[in-house]
Amino acid sequence: MPETLSQPATLLVKLHGKGSRHVELTHDTFTIGRKADNTLVIEDPAVSGHHARIVKVQAVFFLEDLSSTNGTAINGQSITRHQLRDADVIAIGQHRLVFQENTTAGSEAPASFVDLDRTTVIRRSDRTPDTPVLTAKVLVTAGKTDRIEYSLTRQVSVIGSQEGAVIRLTGWFAPKSAATIARRGSNYYISPSNNAKALLVNDTEVLGQEDLKDGDQIEVAGVKLTFRMPSGNKNIPLE
Amino acid sequence: MADSPLGLYVVCDGMGGGNAGEIASALGVETIRAHLVEAARHADLPLIGPCDPTVSAPANRLASAIRSANDAIHCESWSRPDYAGMGTTVIAALLHDDVLAIAHAGDSRLYLVRDGTIQALTTDHSWVAEQILKGVITEEEAERSPQRNIVTKALGVESSIDVELIEVAVKSGDLLLLCSDGLTRGVRPSDILHVLSGSEDLLTKSDRLIAMANEAGGDDNTTVIIVALRDELQTGLWEWLRKRFAA
Repeated sequence: MPETLSQPATLLVKLHGKGSRHVELTHDTFTIGRKADNTLVIEDPAVSGHHARIVKVQAVFFLEDLSSTNGTAINGQSITRHQLRDADVIAIGQHRLVFQENTTAGSEAPASFVDLDRTTVIRRSDRTPDTPVLTAKVLVTAGKTDRIEYSLTRQVSVIGSQEGAVIRLTGWFAPKSAATIARRGSNYYISPSNNAKALLVNDTEVLGQEDLKDGDQIEVAGVKLTFRMPSGNKNIPLE
Repeated sequence: MADSPLGLYVVCDGMGGGNAGEIASALGVETIRAHLVEAARHADLPLIGPCDPTVSAPANRLASAIRSANDAIHCESWSRPDYAGMGTTVIAALLHDDVLAIAHAGDSRLYLVRDGTIQALTTDHSWVAEQILKGVITEEEAERSPQRNIVTKALGVESSIDVELIEVAVKSGDLLLLCSDGLTRGVRPSDILHVLSGSEDLLTKSDRLIAMANEAGGDDNTTVIIVALRDELQTGLWEWLRKRFAA
């Protein structure tokens, strides 16, 4: 099972009118409130019986307000559920709890896991492509299909008579799946399906898979297709 | 969980104190299956979440099932204090005709064995994997990193989940391996390939993989599903085996 970091985080607890002390956050759930069954008991009528709790998800800590009367804030902002980051100041009434993450030298703390106060996840993919992704199309030059032109937007485009096929073959004896065109970004390649009759690209039989380039002539199951890949220039002449 | 009539294969690896991890992973698997069974009966069952036009209808249905599982686990995590923050990784594959839809969150993986090669079709949603992508650390450093078990996406932890969906064409002779990180943590892909390429039956192969995982010091809870795709006459014959080892 996935584990947590070995160094525990701590809370610097500054209760109003009293000194400060450190508390280690070794529990998976750390409760805060007025009642005696809490991990941290704060005897103050302004603090609810079960005011808030700190929950540990792997190495990341979240503070949750438990529908307290007077609310809970982090760095001055009222919250219901919020990820804790190093040096965040939690306010419960007039008391302050400072969250301190212990990071060992030479290792970074994990980047933001998720901010639960928002409905969108902050983390962006770092795998943004350098070049714009181009979508190819095929033009039907012979044989029975439901359309004469198809845009290859899918990761896998099936050429066949089956229900989910992109290039739908409508001939009487058309196989359920004759071939598939797979896409990875702007690269496309074609493979024959199981038990299909021959797949030809530019009159040469394809046994495994074949990369497709602009102008390739595909022939399978009685249908002829021309593969077109735009060059990136917006004005593509229709032929 | 493997449900061959549905063409559904799912591995969930739970996280959480006490038995919350088991609760989360079991709930994940059950909910995904239930959603797909329901969808098979009622084709007009509404999809949960947006429809992705780059994948097929069955793939969108799989994503919908994953989101349904996320909701169920998230909701359940609020029901008891010791369930707080519980979650699970997921790797789910749905086979429809010759096309395989794959959805995952976390560091459980799917490998494809074809023509004597092995390839991971999924990229881990883990902190170390992202560091490798950014070029901050190498794969060797990642294996030794104290942060190597931290996942950046999981079911149940947030109120909504961004499902990563992949679709590939598969063919007769292919072998699929779905596994939790207990296997991949300590066993190299080349060794996995060696086991899977042998002539033994699937039960023996999965036993060997589990044994290798445990020898390498893996956690005591590794799950493996092997699916062999074969054609017999004009119909497909799918064999599967699931092996779970609990200490």
